[in-house]
Amino acid sequence: MILEGMLLRLRAQEIDDLERGHAWTNDREISYQMGTRYPRSLAEQERRLNEQPPGGYGNGVRLAIDTLDGRHIGSTDFVPADADDRCAGMGIMIGDKGYWSRGYGTDAVLTLLRFGFEQMNLNRIWLHVFEYNERAIACYKKCGFQIEGRLRDHLYQEGRYSDVIEMAILRDEFDAALGGGS
Amino acid sequence: MLEGQLVRLRAVEPGDRERAQAWLSDPEVTYYLTMRYPLAEKDPIWLADPQPGGFANGVHLAIETKDGQHVGAINLHELNPEDRKAGLGVIIGEKAHWSNGYGGDAITTLLRFAFHEMNLHRVWLSVLDGHDGAVRCYEKCGFVRESHRRQHVFKHGRYWDVLIMGILRDDFDAMHGGGS
Repeated sequence: MILEGMLLRLRAQEIDDLERGHAWTNDREISYQMGTRYPRSLAEQERRLNEQPPGGYGNGVRLAIDTLDGRHIGSTDFVPADADDRCAGMGIMIGDKGYWSRGYGTDAVLTLLRFGFEQMNLNRIWLHVFEYNERAIACYKKCGFQIEGRLRDHLYQEGRYSDVIEMAILRDEFDAALGGGS
Repeated sequence: MLEGQLVRLRAVEPGDRERAQAWLSDPEVTYYLTMRYPLAEKDPIWLADPQPGGFANGVHLAIETKDGQHVGAINLHELNPEDRKAGLGVIIGEKAHWSNGYGGDAITTLLRFAFHEMNLHRVWLSVLDGHDGAVRCYEKCGFVRESHRRQHVFKHGRYWDVLIMGILRDDFDAMHGGGS
């Protein structure tokens, strides 16, 4: 199944995505926002992809982001969801910097939220973002996420401690903003 | 052995199992805990499964009164050496010892160890919104509310909010004095 957004499609990750993904996660401008600390080899990245379980409620869901004309520009995911609490964390990266600040991140988040609420039947979707990633925070607010808190000095990077912002959106809020099921 | 004012923290021992199992089978004790499914005797629990303490495995300690009664357990989990942070969990299983300052003393004793021996920078915990006695105890120990996760846990027929509280080394030293 392919998830269709306005500007993009979300699809399963394939082996052909590896080299681009590897370049993105080793780009310091990107890893600084992701919190990935240690350099990761292409071989390690390939091992991880091969060992990934299929996307599922308790397995997590890892998706590639393609533009409508088929260009691979990033990835997005749910961490393994908790079945009792119907709650999952999400993450997103637009790795191709030519697509920053053009609405692709927002569209990818909204597409993933729709999948999480309307197909997986989640009640709550949360995320963590570093305090200095203002562009991402603005994007998540636009998607309906609310700031729930600030974990003081929760992250150490580039020689100093930073706060981690916790944001979340509930099913009712998503439905109120986007009109609920069809 | 870590000495507090009212309690002593020691390594957990296999002999703690029976009491721990009884505590975690008591609905009154687990009411605000996030554990959900009945526990089998073979299930691993940190309250009674000895592991070497440290950054890799966490620090899991039994709480004893000064006269040697085992009343609960406390731990540091998810330790991260780069961020120098850890999560804290505590349970007073002997209900006769609730609301008598044992939990708070155990926490302060473990925080001192975390900040002054392990060189941590931050300790955090999560607590169900509504567990007011615990929140007051954590606040008295110097934790501040940092995050309010809405509808984060389902229990007793409804969603509950979860509070994340944190304390930094500087906060602790301001309350208790720095290292000697």
